[in-house]
Amino acid sequence: MNARPSPIRGDLVKLAAVALAGLAAYVVFPNDLGLMTRVVSAAFLVVSLDLITGYAGIATLGQAALFGIGAYAAANANLYGVGEPILMVVVGGLAGAAAGLVFGAVVLRSRGLAQLVLTIALVQLVHEAANKLSDITGGSDGLAGIEAAPVLGMFKFDLYGHTGFVFSLVVLLATLAVLCAIVRSPFGLKLRAIGRDPGRVRTLGAAVMPALLVTFTLSGTVAGMGGAIEAISAGVVGLDGVSFERSAMALVMLVLGGSGSLFGAVFGTAAFMGFEQIVSTANPFHWLIIVGVLLVVVVLFVPRGLSSLGHELKRLIVITGLKAEKR
Amino acid sequence: MTALPLAAAGVHLPAPATFPPALAVEGLSKAFGGLTVASGINLTLARGDRVALIGPNGAGKTTFVNLVSGLLSPSAGSISLAGEDITRLSDVQRARRGLVRSFQVSRLFHGLSVREHIELALLQRLKRTNRLFASIGRMADVAHEAAELIERLGLADIADARVDEISYGQQRLTDLAMSLALKPKVLLLDEPAAGVPTRDAGRTLDVVEALPGDIAVLMIEHDMDLVFRFAKRVVVLAAGHVIFAGTPAEIVSDERVRAAYLGAYGREDEPHGR
Repeated sequence: MNARPSPIRGDLVKLAAVALAGLAAYVVFPNDLGLMTRVVSAAFLVVSLDLITGYAGIATLGQAALFGIGAYAAANANLYGVGEPILMVVVGGLAGAAAGLVFGAVVLRSRGLAQLVLTIALVQLVHEAANKLSDITGGSDGLAGIEAAPVLGMFKFDLYGHTGFVFSLVVLLATLAVLCAIVRSPFGLKLRAIGRDPGRVRTLGAAVMPALLVTFTLSGTVAGMGGAIEAISAGVVGLDGVSFERSAMALVMLVLGGSGSLFGAVFGTAAFMGFEQIVSTANPFHWLIIVGVLLVVVVLFVPRGLSSLGHELKRLIVITGLKAEKR
Repeated sequence: MTALPLAAAGVHLPAPATFPPALAVEGLSKAFGGLTVASGINLTLARGDRVALIGPNGAGKTTFVNLVSGLLSPSAGSISLAGEDITRLSDVQRARRGLVRSFQVSRLFHGLSVREHIELALLQRLKRTNRLFASIGRMADVAHEAAELIERLGLADIADARVDEISYGQQRLTDLAMSLALKPKVLLLDEPAAGVPTRDAGRTLDVVEALPGDIAVLMIEHDMDLVFRFAKRVVVLAAGHVIFAGTPAEIVSDERVRAAYLGAYGREDEPHGR
């Protein structure tokens, strides 16, 4: 029993890997910091989706609503004088949390396909509301002129996006560290069980609905933080941040990376957006086809997502080894 | 557990003095449209009782367990747990009060390990599953009790394997371990040994027999050898009615049971598909 691997050490290794990959990308691709920062803010969205879909087992195609609400909140805070980016992220997170709670309260009244349709309806409603409420959202023009003050008064946001990328990456790492603790906690264990069979969890004496509402709130917080990060680093917030398309792409990235694993979500985001960038540059006409083929291949041959590739290969090697031994 | 007033227990119930019965079901009925699946069922479990519920397929055994555990709501009748009326309580509230059930087909959480299943049940009993930032690894009491249950059910070798990668018999034992981790007052076992290899079935019964004397156990079981070994009393259900209740010895000679239950399968050598 002492041989049981420490899950905390595993998490630390993965966190370090994300940090190293981020730093390596920073050094190797200094001209693509804009794209890389978008990858990081998208990772918030995909990780937040993973909490609801991968862990709690509820499929949603409306996650970008929470992301966009966080972005609008942070942008408005900035336009009303909040300059400190950390504070803007907090505002985005709080707005996302509130939105997540409301979102959950509505979505959890339904089940299955009806629930999925409800999430689409909600994101469309938020999108339309954002379009109409141009006083606070800028309507279809979006909100521009968001200028964050230097981080902690020390690190100025520069034209090349150095500060923007490092700041985003640090906030992502901190968020992932907190989420790692949560998914390993008693609550996280209950949540994973709920995602598999909520009825069985109830027969253990655990109420499911409150736990799911907490999860939606938590997920909204993470999504809202991502929205704030995007507002800070891009300087503009537009309607596309609250779109159905953005929600659907998040689900695609999650499935690609592997749902039910925080790092799978991050990996899926980076892999998808990186691949998209490379392919669309190499072949501007047919790149969507190539991306589609990649998705089909992954879903068919690595159904648990790219992040499980190592595990699958290891298993394959072990099985091959066992067969060889038998001979 | 506190002693409740005798009046709450109902005077006609054969419970030991000062204790209301662990479980008392009175006049429990359920109909789906025109189909009656439970009709006026009375059943009392004293503390420490060992009762087998048998009956032909479709007799309403699992429906009865679903009604008692709160997955279905009855059309009529009442259920009380240790003297408290729980008829209107949800399945969650019933489980929290110590009414625990297992399922005929194991319902486990794919992707979680055997140990995690047991830890989840323990954490739920200890009311810790709302803790967002606690570390399960640092809870020595949980680790200790989980290890003890794993040992008792013979699951040590596969404790950290995912439940979707272990045998069906081991899955059933994991399911049972979860129920035990909740320290129930009343345990409803829906065919705990069905589809399980003999060795694991024996282990199941050993564990159930070794349960503390104050837990009342109701077991649905088809295997008559297990029923005779386990039960102090047997209740026979047919078409939603209790047609017999008595000791295992009495059941063999009862004509109604023979007609409804054994008779239906009487021409087969191996009646219960095992």
